[in-house]
Amino acid sequence: MDIILNTGSTAFQGAVIKGGRKFTDDYTQEAAYCDISPEDFEELGKPWFVKVTNSYGDSVILRAKKTDRQQRGEIFIPRGPWANIVVTPVTESTGSPRYKNLVVQIEKGSSPVLGPQELMKKYYTKRARPKWEANRKWTA
Amino acid sequence: MSSEAQESEISNKITCTDVTCPVCGIACDDIEVELDDVSVVTRNACIMGDAKFKELRSSHRITKPLINGKEAPWSEAVDKAAEFLVNAKRPFFFVGSETTSEAMAIAIEIAEMLGGLVDGNATICHGPTVMAMQDVGQAGCTLGETRNRADLDIYWGANPEDSHPRHLSRHSIFVRGFFTEQGRYGRKVIVVDPRRSTTAEHADLHLQLKPGTDFEVLSAIMTILNGFEPHESFTDVTGISREDIHKAAEMVKDARFGVIWVGLGIASTRGKHYNASMAMRLTQLGNKTGKFVILANRGHCNVTGFNQVLNWSHGFPYAVDFSTGAPRYQPGEYSCVDALRRGEVDALFCMCADLGAHLPKIAVERMCEIPVVSIETAEGPQAFISDVVLPGVLDAMECTGTFYRMDNVPIYARSFCDPPFDFTKSNEDTCTQLRDAIIQKLEAREKAKEEEAQAKPQTTPLSDEEFGQRLDKLVSRAG
Ligand code: SF4
Repeated sequence: MDIILNTGSTAFQGAVIKGGRKFTDDYTQEAAYCDISPEDFEELGKPWFVKVTNSYGDSVILRAKKTDRQQRGEIFIPRGPWANIVVTPVTESTGSPRYKNLVVQIEKGSSPVLGPQELMKKYYTKRARPKWEANRKWTA
Repeated sequence: MSSEAQESEISNKITCTDVTCPVCGIACDDIEVELDDVSVVTRNACIMGDAKFKELRSSHRITKPLINGKEAPWSEAVDKAAEFLVNAKRPFFFVGSETTSEAMAIAIEIAEMLGGLVDGNATICHGPTVMAMQDVGQAGCTLGETRNRADLDIYWGANPEDSHPRHLSRHSIFVRGFFTEQGRYGRKVIVVDPRRSTTAEHADLHLQLKPGTDFEVLSAIMTILNGFEPHESFTDVTGISREDIHKAAEMVKDARFGVIWVGLGIASTRGKHYNASMAMRLTQLGNKTGKFVILANRGHCNVTGFNQVLNWSHGFPYAVDFSTGAPRYQPGEYSCVDALRRGEVDALFCMCADLGAHLPKIAVERMCEIPVVSIETAEGPQAFISDVVLPGVLDAMECTGTFYRMDNVPIYARSFCDPPFDFTKSNEDTCTQLRDAIIQKLEAREKAKEEEAQAKPQTTPLSDEEFGQRLDKLVSRAG
């Protein structure tokens, strides 16, 4: 279903990145989840995991968290590489991408939620694969 | 070293007081740090600040330069970095905020020297708010004034409980100041946020608007203050009841000293700088009945410093292009996300910012394709995608320098220990060394060009007579 995505910082996610633990499980713990309102959570069929997809067709799997802090029709994902897979780069001539108020698709998903390193390899380095393989003798 | 540092002979333990925290925009300057060979203990720091100070003795600190993920000698890494940047046609310089203004000034200088583009964290943070400041103007004040005078705090699209954990206790809601000796009881709090954030729990009035309707809600308050009634569709559009919006307008009217703290909820949503402009216009209106100011809750420690330094040196706050030799400013054109998305950037220098973790996917994909040079303190997405990583120094801990707090007040942060390596003393030093390497490369290139020109056989122009003869010969051959 269509839903509005807001991303933003949380103190715990902040503590992980400021503490240089960006390649640890703590980062997955604090940034790879999706806050969902109780109504939407029911409607999605009480999922453990959700798949969030943007208008470009990019999608990410996240842990689903039910919370009454959210209004119906909105989700929240903490700032980080997971959220940024679906954040669109359209800046409306301001330089600032649409980190908030972005219409995305949400559906029940299945694990695994990727850790930061696997996520970077799988999603971010796809286009640059030849350069990476040449420079780092790296295959993934 | 800090003059307050008291050394104890037993375990190399030092205790430092009044240390500045280099993490978020409020740059707390009352931190106490106890440091010995293996551990760090802080007092007064919040969870984020504490995590950063713990980096002084962490196992994942980058202490050796890396080329393609492998350890390399410092000189080689600097040389490689300089080579990447000199050979690029459209190098991009991203000046992150977790470093001092002095280091930023040198990075900007390199960008100008190479005719590149330069941008900073403001672009993905409060860039639109900065645009609104240029548009409307900001009535601001220092954090000291909000602490001592404010009786109305409006958090608009801001959740300082998470982004600036000590904000509420040091500068706004809870603190008891000179004219605000009642603390929380003497202040009114409005939170405007689509989420029931932790900050919203402290609010007297929480306007839980529909996302992207900030402009409409701001307009409605102004309409009421001007003596009119908002349009009948107001509640349908924004999700806020008429009663609540009147209550908010009433609180604005009654305030003796009101502060609007704008967060990214205003700058990153639909409407961007128009929302921020409207908030600044509301501030103007609030000044008719009381004193009203607006402050941007700048997220990173020295993100304001980047705007200050670039403004001071080149006249523009962010998103500047030097390719014509003169600085040109155009957000949306020369800003980081846009330039990377269009694919025109062919090398990136990223100083003290984790772009890999914070830019939209398409921009990061471009970064993976081009040479990336980073100054980084810890492993993470940015170090992962960088071709050259130069170890970063922890500013305000291992080197001194100037930070601009989010209210534009410069703070001189002192150091209390040394970096765990000796090839560089500070990020400023790293930038200076890189700049010198780049200058050497540019000079060598000029020299090679000159030599090449000299090595070519000099041709003297033909006289008219010779030219005629040759032409005749050619014509007869062709005929
Ligand atoms: S509130 Fe900000 S400046 Fe203060 S200790 Fe926390 S992170 Fe550091």
